[in-house]
Amino acid sequence: MIEISHVNKWYSPTFQVLKDCTTSVAKGEVVVVCGPSGSGKSTLIKCVNALEPFQDGTITIDGLKVNDPKTNLPKLRSRVGMVFQHFELFPHLTIIENLRLAQQKVLGRGQEEATAKGMKLLERVGLKEQAQKFPAQLSGGQQQRVAIARALAMDPIAMLFDEPTSALDPEMISEVLDVMVDLAREGMTMMVVTHEMGFAKKVAHRVIFMDRGEIVEDAKKEEFFGQPRSDRAQQFLSKILSH
Amino acid sequence: MNYTWNWHIFLEPNPTGAGTYFDMLLAGLKVTIVTSLSAWVIALIFGTIVGILRSLPSKLATWIGFIYVEFFRNMPLLVQLFLWFFVLPELLPRTAGLWLKQMPNAPFYTAAVGIGLFMSARVAVQLAAGIGSLPRGQKMAATALGLTTLQVYRYVLLPMAFRIILPPLTSEFLNTVKNSAVAITIGLIELTGAARAMQEFSFQVFEAFSAATLMYLVINIIVVIGMRLLERAVAIPGYITGK
Repeated sequence: MIEISHVNKWYSPTFQVLKDCTTSVAKGEVVVVCGPSGSGKSTLIKCVNALEPFQDGTITIDGLKVNDPKTNLPKLRSRVGMVFQHFELFPHLTIIENLRLAQQKVLGRGQEEATAKGMKLLERVGLKEQAQKFPAQLSGGQQQRVAIARALAMDPIAMLFDEPTSALDPEMISEVLDVMVDLAREGMTMMVVTHEMGFAKKVAHRVIFMDRGEIVEDAKKEEFFGQPRSDRAQQFLSKILSH
Repeated sequence: MNYTWNWHIFLEPNPTGAGTYFDMLLAGLKVTIVTSLSAWVIALIFGTIVGILRSLPSKLATWIGFIYVEFFRNMPLLVQLFLWFFVLPELLPRTAGLWLKQMPNAPFYTAAVGIGLFMSARVAVQLAAGIGSLPRGQKMAATALGLTTLQVYRYVLLPMAFRIILPPLTSEFLNTVKNSAVAITIGLIELTGAARAMQEFSFQVFEAFSAATLMYLVINIIVVIGMRLLERAVAIPGYITGK
């Protein structure tokens, strides 16, 4: 579904953020990307739907090349859902308007259809009663669930999560992870940048470990948590799993 | 000081034969209002376009925006009006220049366009700052949903940016009204012009300019109240700047 092949990215001629990254996410697969801050994991996931440009290599989604000038990027992006660390709901629109906007302006759905679809997804994430409120009136956990619903409203073929729980209070993390676990169990193709190793253990098929712009480890979940091959990944795991 | 106050002067007929001195001032007031509103509309339209250009990632767009703003904001308004009114017709091909000079109401059009473009540079800078103050993730989230750049601005960035810059825009609106007085120098009989004409005909300088002062004050108080109401009408529930 998502093929990442020999991707290199430089911020400046002397600063390389991604070094020869190659991996893939198969249909229905859940891949967790972890690693220390500044390792390039957020940058990599933003390259997948071309929110960040890269200079070298190729990424294809469902056979379509992301870094091809002929590719209709808005159309491609509309088929890949994305959830951000800081939710990024549109503050001047109500919750239901947030869910409707792209359905109507990008997919060309009518107001009624978009509302129905939006309400169904809000019900699914347990926020049907909040439909007429504005984002600033919701808690962080609720906003992130709305953001997931907004992405799902586009009927995506895959979902990208960029540290979806990093900006949340501890007690709100599980309500967001619950939604993500349900999605994973339904067979959604997912690429998730996160430090939530509990989530990884529960639903991930593969775990990718990145350090200094390189994919250091790309292994099945059982192998990764059992005996990571690289010292760097072992160190990382021992630090974050020690508590 | 030998000055005879005469507040009845407003009710006396003016020498142009069209009503009283008060009617003369009212005619000037009307010209001031129409000129200011026209200039403000021009300032908003061009300011919005140039403000967007300045916020785009494209180097060329930023550069065009930069040149525009620095051209219009670094020259005194008086000089700009002289350039448009006296110099431009001479620089154009003979027939075009002649057409421009013989245009009825030339001072009005020149003032509306000249003041409008001068103010547009200021609107552009503020709008660009407003867009720049939005979290970077807003543009990314909108783009990730599949919206085109134009749609991202229309539905996500501009509605928030304009809300944020409403208070400074109020000041610019007031400045536009006050700057319209400069048009007296190219022969537009707006409020200041009318007051001066009244002084020349009647020698009642204090009465004439007292009335003009009051009229400017009233227009601008109406602008302030109007903008306040607008701010309240578009405030977002729960949002920091909202009430």
